Amino acid sequence: MHLPLSRIRSASLALAVCLALGAQDGDIAERLFQSGERAYGAKSYPEALETWGQLLQQAPKSPFCAQALLRMARYQLEVERKSEAALPLLERIKTEHIKTSWAAEAMLLRGQILASQARKAQDLREAVGEFNRVVDLFPDQPAVLPAHYHLGLAARLQGQWARALKHFTEALRLDPTSPIAPMAQLQMGDLLDVMGDLQGCLLLLQGIRTQFPQSPEAQEAEWRIAVRVKHRIQKPTLKSEGPWPQGRAKGWLKTPTLLATGPKGELFIYQDDLDRAFVLQGSELAPAGAASKSAKAMTVTAAGVPWLVSAKVGITREEGATPLLLASLTAPNGAFLDGWQNLWVSDAKVACITLVAADGTSRSLPSPTATAMAALPTGGAVLASDANRSLLFLDAAGQPRLTVPYSKDLPASVKYVLALCADATGHVAAIVDGDYEGVVLWGPDGSLLRHATFKALGLNGKFRAIALDHQGGIVLADRSNDLLIRLN
Amino acid sequence: MRLFRVLAPLALLATLSGMDLRAQDPALKETFQQAKALWGIQGDNPGASAKFEQILGALEPKGKTLEGEWLQMLCETYNWLAILDDRSATKKPRAQKDLEALLELNPDFDMDRIITNARLQGVFEALRSSRLVRVKLALDPEGGILAVDGRPRQSAALKFLPPGNHKLTYAKTGYQSAEQQVDLSLKEPKSLEMKLTRVSSTVSLCTSPAGIEVLLDGKSLGTSVGIAAPELRPMAEKAGVRLEELSAPFVVGDLPAGRHTLELRAPCFRTRRIELDPSYATPFADHTLEAYKLDASRGLLTVSTAGPGGELLLSGKPYGPVPVKDLQLCSGSYDLQVRFPAGGFTERVEVPDGKSVQVNARPKVRMLYLGCEGSDDFAGRERMLRLLASFGERLKTVAFMLPAKGETPQEALTRIRTTKEAELTLTVRPRSGKPIHEIELVVSTLQGEEDRSVVKPLEQDPLAALAARLNRLPRLWEPWVGLNLLDLPGEIGPWVLRADETALRAGIKTSRAITQVNGKPVTSVMAFRKALAEAPGERIALAQGEAPIQLPVTQQALELPLNASDLCYPFVLAELRLRYLGAKGDEAGLLRLNQALALMHFRLFGPAMEVLRDARMTGTKGVSQGTLDYYTGVCLLRLGNVYADIASQSFNQALKYPQATLFGPEGPFVAPLARQALEDLKP
Repeated sequence: MHLPLSRIRSASLALAVCLALGAQDGDIAERLFQSGERAYGAKSYPEALETWGQLLQQAPKSPFCAQALLRMARYQLEVERKSEAALPLLERIKTEHIKTSWAAEAMLLRGQILASQARKAQDLREAVGEFNRVVDLFPDQPAVLPAHYHLGLAARLQGQWARALKHFTEALRLDPTSPIAPMAQLQMGDLLDVMGDLQGCLLLLQGIRTQFPQSPEAQEAEWRIAVRVKHRIQKPTLKSEGPWPQGRAKGWLKTPTLLATGPKGELFIYQDDLDRAFVLQGSELAPAGAASKSAKAMTVTAAGVPWLVSAKVGITREEGATPLLLASLTAPNGAFLDGWQNLWVSDAKVACITLVAADGTSRSLPSPTATAMAALPTGGAVLASDANRSLLFLDAAGQPRLTVPYSKDLPASVKYVLALCADATGHVAAIVDGDYEGVVLWGPDGSLLRHATFKALGLNGKFRAIALDHQGGIVLADRSNDLLIRLN
Repeated sequence: MRLFRVLAPLALLATLSGMDLRAQDPALKETFQQAKALWGIQGDNPGASAKFEQILGALEPKGKTLEGEWLQMLCETYNWLAILDDRSATKKPRAQKDLEALLELNPDFDMDRIITNARLQGVFEALRSSRLVRVKLALDPEGGILAVDGRPRQSAALKFLPPGNHKLTYAKTGYQSAEQQVDLSLKEPKSLEMKLTRVSSTVSLCTSPAGIEVLLDGKSLGTSVGIAAPELRPMAEKAGVRLEELSAPFVVGDLPAGRHTLELRAPCFRTRRIELDPSYATPFADHTLEAYKLDASRGLLTVSTAGPGGELLLSGKPYGPVPVKDLQLCSGSYDLQVRFPAGGFTERVEVPDGKSVQVNARPKVRMLYLGCEGSDDFAGRERMLRLLASFGERLKTVAFMLPAKGETPQEALTRIRTTKEAELTLTVRPRSGKPIHEIELVVSTLQGEEDRSVVKPLEQDPLAALAARLNRLPRLWEPWVGLNLLDLPGEIGPWVLRADETALRAGIKTSRAITQVNGKPVTSVMAFRKALAEAPGERIALAQGEAPIQLPVTQQALELPLNASDLCYPFVLAELRLRYLGAKGDEAGLLRLNQALALMHFRLFGPAMEVLRDARMTGTKGVSQGTLDYYTGVCLLRLGNVYADIASQSFNQALKYPQATLFGPEGPFVAPLARQALEDLKP
C-alpha cells in the first residue's frame, strides 16, 4: 500500500503536535487514535492506517492500541474483503491486550471469520472456542449476546439442535429487544420444528411478528408460519389455479425443465431452449446467473444466484466463472449447497452423492441411486429412490434418518418420482408417476400432508419440475405446454 | 336580608369595642367591684384604696396601649383614687397627680359627678382647660374610624385635643376618606365638621364558623374573624347557630357597579356562593346579609397495601398503620405518605366531598443522591449538579432524596447504611481525563450491586437515559385468556392455534379467527393483546364470527431479561425485594425467580441460588416450578463442577414439568433445554 506524501505528512504532523504539547503517553495514544478515527470516517483509509500504525509504535501498551487494531481488522474485512489479513490483527489483540474490553470484540470477530471459513465440523472448533471465550472471559461485554448467537449457529450447522436452541435461548434471554433477538428467535422457531415442536415453533415465529413487526425476520416468520399452518394444520385440498402468473398463456416459456425457489421466495426457472435460468419478477422474467447447456439440476445460493449442473458443461456458478467439470457427473438430477458451502449433487447413474467443495475438490457419500434430490433445513437432503420406491431423508452427514415409501398412505401406488423439491421449512413435494399420477406433499417427518392426481386437478401436460413457494402454493413446470401451473 | 342592614353599624361598633376584652386578667374586674363596694357600702377607705392601688399596679404600666373596657377601668380607678387621696391628709397632694394622669390617659374622660365632689371636679376641669382645647366634632356619617395625627381612635367621639396643629382623618367603608388640618389654641374652643362622600355600597355578612375565606368575584378579600356581638343574636338564631358560633361581621366595601359573586370557603366545609344583583352596588348603601352557616365537607379515604408495616401520614400528620379503610377526612388535597420499614410511598390525593377515594400504596424504592465523589472538576459540573438536585421530579417509580446539608458522599452512605432509609444510592463519579468531559452515574443497592452509565455533562439531557431506565419497571405478569394466536394471511383476525380447556369449554374453536374483542373488531395478534391489556374487569368477550364468548382473564408469569439495555438492574432488584415483602404464594415464587434473574445479571450466582432455594410455584404451565428448577440448575452449574450432581438433580426435576416454559406463556419449553444441560453434564 502506497501512502500519498501529504497523508504521511499530516499523520506525522499529528504526532509532532502531540509530542510538542508535552502530552502524556495516554494523551498521545488517544489523540492518535482519534485522528485515525477522523480519517477513517472521512474514508481516508491510508491516512487512518498510517496514524494507527504510529499509535502502535509509540504507545504499544495503550488500550487505544487494541481499539486501533480492531479498526484495522475491520478495515481488512469490510473494505479490503481480506479476512485472512484481519486474523493476525485480531490475534494480536488477543495476545497483547487480553485485559481490555476490545479483546471480547476481537475474539467475536475472529470467531465469525473462522466460522465463515469452516467447511467441516472440525473447522468450527476454533471459532467455537473463540465464542466460548467471549462468554466466559467477558461476561459483562455486549459481545456475549452475539457470541451466543454464533454458538447457536455453529451448533445448528453441526446438527446439535438442542445445543443450538440453548445458545439462541441465551441470546434471547440476555436482551429480548436487541437487534439479534429476532434473528435468534427465528432460528429457535425453525429448530423447534426440526425437533418436533410445531406449535412452539409457530408461537416463537409469531412472537417475532408481534415484537419486531418491521424487521426482515418478521417477513421471514410470516411466510414460515403461513406455509406450516397451511400444509400441516389446515391441509386444504389441492386445487389448480391454472397457468401462473395469471395471464400467461401456453408457450410463454421455452421448455421449462427446472424450478427452484430463491432465499426471498422468488421463483427461478431454467428454460432448456434458452440454456439459462431466469428469475420471475412479477409476471416478467429476468435472466439470472450464467448460461449452461442442458442443465439437469439447479440450486440457488443464499445470495440469490442460480447454480446449474449439467453433465456436458459441469457446474456453472457465478457469471464469468469457469464451469467446474466433474468426470463423475453423468446424469445429474439434483443439487444444493449445504451449510459448509459444499455442493451436493445427485446422479441417476451413480450410487452416491457427490459433495463438491468450494475449492473444487470433491468426495462421495454412499447412497442409493437417486432419481431426484432436494435440500432439507436440517442441512441434509431428501432423496427420491425409484429403485426402493422410497424417499430417503439424510442428515447433514449424509446418514439416512428416515425412509418413507412413496406410496405410504396414498390411495394408489407410486412408482416414480419425476421431480422433487423441498422448502426451508422442511416440506417435501414431488411429481409422481405410476398408478398414482399427480403431486404429493410430505412433512419434515415424512408424513403425508397433501396430494392430488393430475386428473383431479384437471391438468394435462408434461410436468417435469416442481417448486414450493412462500405463499403455500406448489408450482409445476409443464415442458410440453411451456407454461407454469400453480396449485393451491 | 335587607332587614339586617341597619344592624351593620352596631355590629361594627361592637366589634371595635370588644376587641380587647380578652387581653387582661378578668379577676381585675372583680377586684374593681370589691374596691367600689368597700368604699360605698363598708366605708372602708383604706381597704378600697388598697384595691384600687392593686388595679393601678396591674394596668398603669400598659397605660395608653389599653383599649375599651380596660382603658375605662383605669380611668375610673384614677377617678376613685383622686377622691380617696383627696380625703386623706397624708395622700392629699397625690390627688392632683391622679387627675393629671387621668387627663394624660384620656383627655375626654368625664368624671363621675355623683361620687366626685364639686371642688375636685373644678380642679380637674381647670387642669383640662389649662392644657387642652375643647373641640366640637360633627361626623357625617357616624360609625367611621377617626384618626388623630395618624393614630386611630377607638371612639369617634372627640372633645379635647392638645393645642397646636393636628391632622384629623375620618374614614368609613363605602365612603371617600376625609382629612382636615386644625390649629388649636388654648382657651379657644373649636367646632369641626367632617362629612364623607359616599363612593360605593358595602355588604356585610357573618359566617358560621369564623375563619371562612371571603372572595368577591374570585378574589380573596380576607377571612371572617371574631365573635358576633350580642345585638346579632337574632341573626344567629335565624341561621340556626349559637351566637358564639357566629363570626363578627365581615364588611365587603368598594362594591363596583354590576352583578357580583361572593364565595365563602374554608377547608373541611362546602363552599357557598352568594349572587349579588346590581341593586347591591347601586344606589350606594350599606347592606347586611343574613348569617351564612357552612356545612362540613368530608370524604372517605381507603389506603390498601401489600407491603407490611406501613404507617400512614396525611400532610405530615400521622394516622396509624395501613391498611386504612374508610377514614373520614375533610375534603381537599393531602400529601399522602406511607412509611414502610423498607421503601416509601408518597402521592398527592384529592378527597372530594362525599366521595370515597381508594389508594393502593405500593412501596416505592427510595434512592439517596450521595453527591459527587472527589474534588475533580469537570466541564458542566454546576449544570450537572443542578440537574441532579431536581432529578426526583422526573422519577415516577423511585422516591428520590437529597443528602443532608453539608454531608459528604461517604457520610451520607454511612448514614443510609445505618438507618436503612433508602434502598438505592446515586453517585456521580468523574472519569479520568484532562480535562474531564465524562462522568459516571453510579446507581447502587446498599448490598453493592452497581449500574454505571457514562454521560457527558454538557450534552443536551445527560440524565434522560437514566431517568427512562429508572422509570421502567419490567412486567412480571401479562393478561391471558388461554389462547395461542397467529396472524395468518387471508384471516380477518388472529387465528386460534391452541386453546386451553377453559376456552374450549366456553366455546372457542381452534383453527378459526377471533373477529371481535368486547364488541370491537380485532385484526391482528398485536391488536388482540392491546385490547386484552386495556380490557376492564376480569372477563372478556371474544367472538369468532358468531355470538360472543365470555372468557376469564388471568395473569401469566413473565421473566425479566438478563441484560436489557433499558433496565437499571439495581433498581429492578430493589423493586423486586420490596415487592417480595408481603407477597404470598405463586406471586412470591415469581418475585423470587425474577430476583434470582436480576442477581444473575450481576453474575451473583450464589445469592441467586439462595433466592431460588426458597422459591416455590404451584403452577406447572408457563413460567412455573419447572422454570425455577431449571434456573436453579443453571446457577449451580455456574458455581462450578463441585455442584454438578445437584445441578443434574435440578435439571431432572425440571423435566417433571413438561409444560413449563421460559420467558412467558408462549416461550420455549424448558424440557429440551434441561435435557441438553444434562447431556452437557455427562462426562
